Amino acid sequence: MWLPLLGLLLGISLGLLSDIQIPQEYNNYLTVAILAAFDTLFGGIRAYLQQVYDDRIFVSGFFFNILLAAALAFLGVHLGVDLYLAAVFAFGVRLFQNIAVIRRILLAKRTSNNKKTNANT
Amino acid sequence: MNKNRKATREKRGKQLLFSVVFLVLGFMLAFSYRTVGSHMQELDEVQTDLFLQEEQYRGDLITQQERNKELTNELLEKQRKIQEFEENFSNQEENHAVLVEKARDLRLLLGVMPATGAGVKVTLEDADYDPSVQNPNDYIVHESHVLRVINELKIAGAQGLSINGQRINSNSYIKCTGPVIMIDGRTFPAPFIIEAVGDPNVLVPAMQLKGSVIDGLVRDNIVVTLEEMKEIKLSAIRDEV
Repeated sequence: MWLPLLGLLLGISLGLLSDIQIPQEYNNYLTVAILAAFDTLFGGIRAYLQQVYDDRIFVSGFFFNILLAAALAFLGVHLGVDLYLAAVFAFGVRLFQNIAVIRRILLAKRTSNNKKTNANT
Repeated sequence: MNKNRKATREKRGKQLLFSVVFLVLGFMLAFSYRTVGSHMQELDEVQTDLFLQEEQYRGDLITQQERNKELTNELLEKQRKIQEFEENFSNQEENHAVLVEKARDLRLLLGVMPATGAGVKVTLEDADYDPSVQNPNDYIVHESHVLRVINELKIAGAQGLSINGQRINSNSYIKCTGPVIMIDGRTFPAPFIIEAVGDPNVLVPAMQLKGSVIDGLVRDNIVVTLEEMKEIKLSAIRDEV
């Protein structure tokens, strides 16, 4: 369990300490990529709670979504259309949906647990 | 046992995969945070610089405008002064013309210079000898007659006067010395030609007024001729000899 946490800490420290500078116009890519990562993460959590979780889907979705979002933003910049807004919109909506589903599942679980305990007593 | 090991290995692999995922996530988060933050700061600095520059330019502009305003005011003031000067100058010129006119008139009156101008010429002659009249004083021209003519002409605005070519001014005197009269120390016999420079349109009617000088002279048996002259030449006053 501590290995992923270690990975997170290592990633944060690397990000803070690294001396790489990217031009400001690539900020959009980064934002969209982060959004994609979050979306995949919450999607994974939801899948786990719904018991349809699959490692391969999760990992491939994580990286593929990030790359796709960045590519979309890149394409948008070169076409002169703010396509990254589409990515932001899509991922944002899915993020909210995922979180809403997680919340419902958690709530349902809690109520069922309460009922169980109530029935026991 | 074998199954168990396989499960743990699977778990290990899973954890490794997750750690890689989280590593990427953490890196991206941190990197984004750092870059965006630094960019924001840069943006802020640039904006502050621009703002300060703008402020400075604005200040300069205001100073310039104030200076312009001052200069404009100064210009207006100067122009006003010039106008004043010009007005003064023109007034002075007018005054000058007036003064010249006055000087001319005064010179005429004083008689220190020869003068010419329009005027009248009055000739007073003794009447012809009349044996029926006992007193010859009744038909010769007396100095009082001359004085009357002179006074009337002066009152009527004559500027320059002369009697028989002798210029007279306000200091001149006319004296009776028997059959002749003495003017400023010179004696003159009849007929007396009195010349006056002045406006003939005024002088002639003044002389011809009913009951005025000419009437009086005619009553005293004096032959009076009044002539209006286009141009009369008066000599300068001569010093007493």
